[in-house]
Amino acid sequence: MIKATNLTKNYRRGTQMTEVLKGVTFKVRRGEFVAIMGPSGSGKSTLLNVLGLLDRPDSGSYILDGKDYAQADDEARSAARNRKIGFVFQQFHLLDRASAIRNVTLPLLYAENGGGDGAARAERALAAVGLSHRKNYLPSELSGGEQQRVAIARALINDPPLILADEATGNLDPKSGAEILDIFRGVAEEGRTLVLITHDPEVAKRADRILTFGDGRMMADDGLPPPNADAHEGTTARL
Amino acid sequence: MSGVSARRRPLARGLLLSAQLLAAHRLRTVLSISGLLVGVAAVIVMVGIGRGAEQRLLDRLAAMGTDLLVVSAAPAPRVSGRPRQVPIHTALRAEDASAILAQSAFAIASAPAVNRSVVLRWEGLNRTTGLTGTTAEGLRLRNIRAGSGRLFDEDDDRERQRVAIIGPAVARSLFPGVDPVGREVRVGDLRFEVIGVARPRGIDPLGTDLDDFVTIPFGTGMRRLLNISYVHAIYVRAQSSAHLDGLERDIRDILHERHTPRTGIAEPFVIQNQASLLKAERAATAALNQLVPAVCGIALLLGGVGILTVMLMSVRERTREIGLRRALGASRKDIQTQFVLESAMLGGVGGAAGVIVGVAASGAFAMFGDWDLVISWQIALLGFACSMLLGLIIGVIPAARAARLEPMEALRAA
Repeated sequence: MIKATNLTKNYRRGTQMTEVLKGVTFKVRRGEFVAIMGPSGSGKSTLLNVLGLLDRPDSGSYILDGKDYAQADDEARSAARNRKIGFVFQQFHLLDRASAIRNVTLPLLYAENGGGDGAARAERALAAVGLSHRKNYLPSELSGGEQQRVAIARALINDPPLILADEATGNLDPKSGAEILDIFRGVAEEGRTLVLITHDPEVAKRADRILTFGDGRMMADDGLPPPNADAHEGTTARL
Repeated sequence: MSGVSARRRPLARGLLLSAQLLAAHRLRTVLSISGLLVGVAAVIVMVGIGRGAEQRLLDRLAAMGTDLLVVSAAPAPRVSGRPRQVPIHTALRAEDASAILAQSAFAIASAPAVNRSVVLRWEGLNRTTGLTGTTAEGLRLRNIRAGSGRLFDEDDDRERQRVAIIGPAVARSLFPGVDPVGREVRVGDLRFEVIGVARPRGIDPLGTDLDDFVTIPFGTGMRRLLNISYVHAIYVRAQSSAHLDGLERDIRDILHERHTPRTGIAEPFVIQNQASLLKAERAATAALNQLVPAVCGIALLLGGVGILTVMLMSVRERTREIGLRRALGASRKDIQTQFVLESAMLGGVGGAAGVIVGVAASGAFAMFGDWDLVISWQIALLGFACSMLLGLIIGVIPAARAARLEPMEALRAA
């Protein structure tokens, strides 16, 4: 699903050049539930930007679903974000003036095939996260956990193969966080690939596999076969 | 993903989205369009007033006859501050009228006239009105036509017949429910047979009722009623309105020759070239109309600044939303299109509101004020189109700024 090879990224601040990614190489298989861990400044946010096609790496290749997007143009990367990636953010990022269901349909605005059956798809997505009864609520009328479930429904509406979650439980109480993680587990079991960025070891433990970052490099791949090895099976046994 | 670069999304949906966003930010929307609204409305009202004034002038010119000069006896100077018995110069003669016609190549008709304010009486009713004694030619020059009965002719004039033509306003008040034709009215001791009622001419823009008069033959007026040898006025028609100035010079020369004024004494007559006065007024109106483009420019500038400010504010305020949309699949071009459409829609809404307010204000002015406004639908349409175009063009700046935002940084914005 994901094949990152030797990704580098530098940021220039004034005259000073900061190396944020110093050659990152790893693979994620289709249907895998992966947690990326690391302290702040380890480059994991930049990595998420690159994986989410929100930023281009300076060098290296990034193959997502069979296509190299490392240097693709804005249109191609935008289309891929829409079709292939569902984002879930720590801050939920719902439009506060739009109802739950309108928030869920937002990605359809940018979809190729339009939103002919958009309402029905949004209802199904909301049902999948257990929020059918809240579809006309505004975000301000929902609890944090509910808001994050709306965001997950939004991420799922275009049926993307990859879900990228950035500290998705960071703003939630433990109970709500656990519910979100349960939903993620279910999403992964449907065959979607899940990449969860977190600094919380408890959260990371729910994943099939943990990639640990530090200083712009991958420090550990939780003892499983090294990133270049293709053989990688039996992940659910870890639970 | 082969066809990714050829993604096409219906414009209608983008417009709907923009409309929803504008509706959601009601106050900001109203603020941003207020400049345009006032501007477009002001332009519509201004053009309406300008065209109304122009129309009124044309009406007045048409009512007066654009080729007519009136030579009047000048007011007599006061002596020792006391009014004279005859308060005007008594130099003008009926012969001056024929002399002008004979000697000026520009004159094609002329008629002398005498005037007095009189009280008409009929069977216990009376009515004060202005009496004019003039020739049959004078009737034609003053545009008096018979509504019922007949006009007097040259024979009536020569024979000093005691016949009268009354205006419709006089007919209504002196002969309520009665046909005045054939009745006899008294002016002092003299009896006049009413031979005709003039066709209505209405009220002129200065408020004078053009239907409130009585007219009798010139000879009758001069010899039987007033018993004077001078005349009060001479009507002269020029070949065309283009010859009015030449005619005015000719008249002055002819009259000077005939009535050599004593040195140090002002001309004993006044030439009223009302058409040229009106032309001056018209020039003033034209100057007003020339201001319209400047007002348009200022209005559009103010409106544009309003939209630009609010759109830039909107981009700053919605930074996170922009980041989110980018993450959900919006390309830079999508974001740019969205903001340009929003801006164009703001312009369009502002323009449309301006048209509505402008037309309503014009209507109110016309109804409650003493204004003649002519609403120009071309200007209204132009105002709307310009506003929308302005929004579109102005929108490029905030849209470019929105499209330049880096999605992840935008999402992290406060």
